[in-house]
Amino acid sequence: MAMTEERPEILELETGETTPSTGAFARPTHATGWRAWIFTVDHKKIGIMYGAVAMFWFLWGGIEAMLIRMQLFTPNGTVLTANQYNQIFTMHAVTMVFLVVMPLAAAFANYIVPLQIGARDVAFPRLNALGLWIFIFAGIFLNLSWFLGGGPDGGWFAYAPNTSVAYSPGNGMDFYSLGLQIAGIASLIGSINLIVTVVNMRAPGMTMLRMPVFTWMILVVQFLLLLSLPVITVALVLLSFDRTFDANFFNVAMGADPLLWQHLFWIFGHPEVYILILPSFGIVSETLPVFSRKPLFGYSVIVISGAAIGFMGWGVWAHHMFVSGLGPVGVAAFSATTMFIAVPTGVKILNWIATMWGGNLRFTVAMMFSVSLVSMFTIGGLSGVMHAIAPADTQQTDTYFIVAHFHYVLFGGALMGLFAGMYYWWPKAFGYQLNEGLGKWHFWIVLLGFNMAFGPMHILGLQGMARRHSQYGPEDGFDFWNAVATIGSFFILIGMIVFAVNIVRSWLGYKAGKVPQAPADPWDGRTLEWAIASPTPEHNFDYVPIVTDVDDFWHKKYQPDETGKLRKVADGNDIAQIGDQHPHLPSPSYWPIVLAAGLPFIALGLIYNLWLSGIGLVFLLGGMFGWSLEPATDPDAGHGDHGDDHAPDPDTPDGDESEAAEVVEEAPVG
Amino acid sequence: MKVKINTSTEGTTRTMRKQGSLFGKTVRLSGLLLAAAALASCATGRIDPTDPVGENAKQIDGIMRLSGYMASAVGIFVAAAVIIVIVKFRARPDDDPNELPKQIHGNKKAELTWTLIPVVMLVFLAIVTIPAVFDLSGKSDGRTIKVEGQQWWWQFSYDVDEDGTDDIVTANEIVIPVGEEINLEIHSNDVIHSFWIPQLNGKKDAVPGRIHHWRISSPEPGIFYGECVEFCGLSHANMQMRAVVLNSNDYEAWVQQQLQPSTIPTSAAAKRGYELFGRHCVSCHVIDGVYESAADGNANLLSGVAPNLTHLMTRTSFAGSLFELYNDDGSANIAELREWVRDAPDRKPSRPDNRQGMISFVETLNNSELDDLVTYLLTLGGKPPLMPS
Repeated sequence: MAMTEERPEILELETGETTPSTGAFARPTHATGWRAWIFTVDHKKIGIMYGAVAMFWFLWGGIEAMLIRMQLFTPNGTVLTANQYNQIFTMHAVTMVFLVVMPLAAAFANYIVPLQIGARDVAFPRLNALGLWIFIFAGIFLNLSWFLGGGPDGGWFAYAPNTSVAYSPGNGMDFYSLGLQIAGIASLIGSINLIVTVVNMRAPGMTMLRMPVFTWMILVVQFLLLLSLPVITVALVLLSFDRTFDANFFNVAMGADPLLWQHLFWIFGHPEVYILILPSFGIVSETLPVFSRKPLFGYSVIVISGAAIGFMGWGVWAHHMFVSGLGPVGVAAFSATTMFIAVPTGVKILNWIATMWGGNLRFTVAMMFSVSLVSMFTIGGLSGVMHAIAPADTQQTDTYFIVAHFHYVLFGGALMGLFAGMYYWWPKAFGYQLNEGLGKWHFWIVLLGFNMAFGPMHILGLQGMARRHSQYGPEDGFDFWNAVATIGSFFILIGMIVFAVNIVRSWLGYKAGKVPQAPADPWDGRTLEWAIASPTPEHNFDYVPIVTDVDDFWHKKYQPDETGKLRKVADGNDIAQIGDQHPHLPSPSYWPIVLAAGLPFIALGLIYNLWLSGIGLVFLLGGMFGWSLEPATDPDAGHGDHGDDHAPDPDTPDGDESEAAEVVEEAPVG
Repeated sequence: MKVKINTSTEGTTRTMRKQGSLFGKTVRLSGLLLAAAALASCATGRIDPTDPVGENAKQIDGIMRLSGYMASAVGIFVAAAVIIVIVKFRARPDDDPNELPKQIHGNKKAELTWTLIPVVMLVFLAIVTIPAVFDLSGKSDGRTIKVEGQQWWWQFSYDVDEDGTDDIVTANEIVIPVGEEINLEIHSNDVIHSFWIPQLNGKKDAVPGRIHHWRISSPEPGIFYGECVEFCGLSHANMQMRAVVLNSNDYEAWVQQQLQPSTIPTSAAAKRGYELFGRHCVSCHVIDGVYESAADGNANLLSGVAPNLTHLMTRTSFAGSLFELYNDDGSANIAELREWVRDAPDRKPSRPDNRQGMISFVETLNNSELDDLVTYLLTLGGKPPLMPS
């Protein structure tokens, strides 16, 4: 990589004039060390950082969960006060939804999607870095509330008017509304970037219906984000105006209807559920065929049902409001739409089982997590159909039956899928596999703990235990299953510790040379990310692959012989690209992090003192100014075409290296 | 029924103990564990949706069970398929790595089948559900009771003579006659709450600025427990309520009793308490006939309303139904009542400095004043028409 070469003193303009490059506008050039990460625009480093930060918040959200479970371990628990409990359950949800599952999906989307479509980066690399840093600052900002008078206490759903200054006089809900606003900017930026990337930067021959299912599901999710985030943005603007500038959007005394908030929140909130689950559906649609050694059963049906879920997800939001007072026509309509969204979801489940049926199943850890998604998500999906029946929901809503349901969907579904993805793609990202033995311990302990923690909540909910109650009485009859659930949560904790140990041990072992270097294609993979070396070279592809089929890489390895029977004709590791090219890449930049740093200051200013917003604005405008003056790629940085220190390798497997590289080079402009 | 299972298992246990064998010990242990599990799993508390009593609750229960059985059937089918796949198609060590399983890319007929079967099942559920939604909404011919939620207790108002003004205003306990389908007009005076007495009907939100109609009924007298189930702030967990269902005679007697205005007490201590009440409590609380200055709302509370204490002692509980007003032996729970008056924020999470909940009187009232005040409160009303069993 050309990043290491010394910077020339003089910047040459296109006009031929020369001007000394001033300090502020010099570009970062670090190829190693922490600055190589902070200023990077490389989608892989950004993906890894999304994942690492999300895992940090997973730890914190897990601690919040443990505090909740400790409080409910016995009747009249005294671990937390009512006030602390309300803040903890609010932030547990906010953390897990916005700071864990969404960014973990963003981590995989950033890292894997460009590789699966044969691209060298995303369409707008600097924008990608901006999204990451805004997300990081949003997480810090949200949790600053703990140190500045207490966390948000209105629930993640923040129903008006309980969130107004009158009823929630602390600053917690300001941190909530402004923090989610900032996090929303990050997701919005990311969604535009990934949509443009997937639509424009696919390898030659990769039509939409040859695209890997994971990329497909990420594309659907980005559209959901793009269209749903503006709705929550509006809702949060109204809330912030009410709280900060004494507006009356949710002031009943001034004629407001509090149901406005519920509609806005759930029009965002329900597509959000699919934003959380579809990436994991994508992941298992990759792993199940690979570990079954069979193609995905009904590729087009799985893709279309994923897109159908994306569409139908917009027509079910009011099922969160069956007891809010909608009237029977609205309730009946949303009851019916909610039932029928089960159809495309059910089709996916059965197609996955059919994928495994008749296969040759290799139970790696990634496969075990994938199968557990299929079974555990099914339980969550079926209880979901039960709530779709509006009369039944009037007994179930706001009880632990719902808590059980969405933990089976989000933990048993989304998180299980994300763990499958981690074990599956770890060798591609880091060059070594996680230990499979420890991974199996991780899996079994988490599966046991998960079912112990959340299974009993079905019973508790049917017994009538209400959500968000900081205590229950000894006369309520909820003791036994609450105790079981709390013990289960400790198993989850132990399982996650095993996972952490696995990461550290595998990494140390790799450093010490005891854990072998992962080959390019450790799982006999089917998609393009396995057609390049592990870990992924900085430039991803030496040459852009030409795609002729779904699972193109697999078809390069297995071809029919003269009798028509499929035979292995090549080993993936032998035909994978070796990563010895040095093409031109987008240059790192200071500006994304500078621009992003302005947002938390602006938000703090809105809570405390507008002068702080002024400081934030300086960062924001300064970042924009520097960004706009900076070319997307540093003209000084080494360029493959210049051929000075890294001439194209004459042994490049594909003859059209320079032409293929051009295709990619033109695209990154952001 | 559950208790019977437990007793019989204990009986078995006792016979086994005499034998003293290892087998006996094992059976005894597992028997005990089973009994414990059976007891614990079926243990139901005061809130109990699994034992519907009201007509609406029974209708909901039927649909819920139907959907539960269908969901379980599908769940078992999927679980069986997954288990078969795991057992039957797992790779064996002696598998030829170069031998691929049959490569099937899909099967339109199969996929169409497992799209249509769920469609049929869901159409069936929709046909059951939609009429029920309309059935459960709307009003009945019965009398109307106004339900108001506020942080963190429930108020119930009765317009007995139907002249448009409330004649009985009570707190925490909604008293209804047996067998009559009562119309509720549910409303909130501050944030959103949700009214839920699961044995009588599902829940319905109490939303400020809106009136929601809902119906409850019970074919048998008794006390049924309920609570607020929409998160309503700090003391959401402590906003309970009770439905007291009375025979029609008892109900009429209760109405007549409640309609009587309160009078000034005669005993010296109660009279001192009465005067203390007038000094410290009347800016929030109303006692019909004697202290009505707060009847049109008060500025000391965000919700503008505190529990009406007329005939307090005819209720079974106080402070959002958090505490029993009577001990098991039928005597008044003076200790708890006194503690509550002394330092309410200590007994129940609240935020009086933000006008949410009752203030503390620790600094204001001395011990003898507290005793007098409680003595006065004990004179309000008579006995509850029905005691919790």
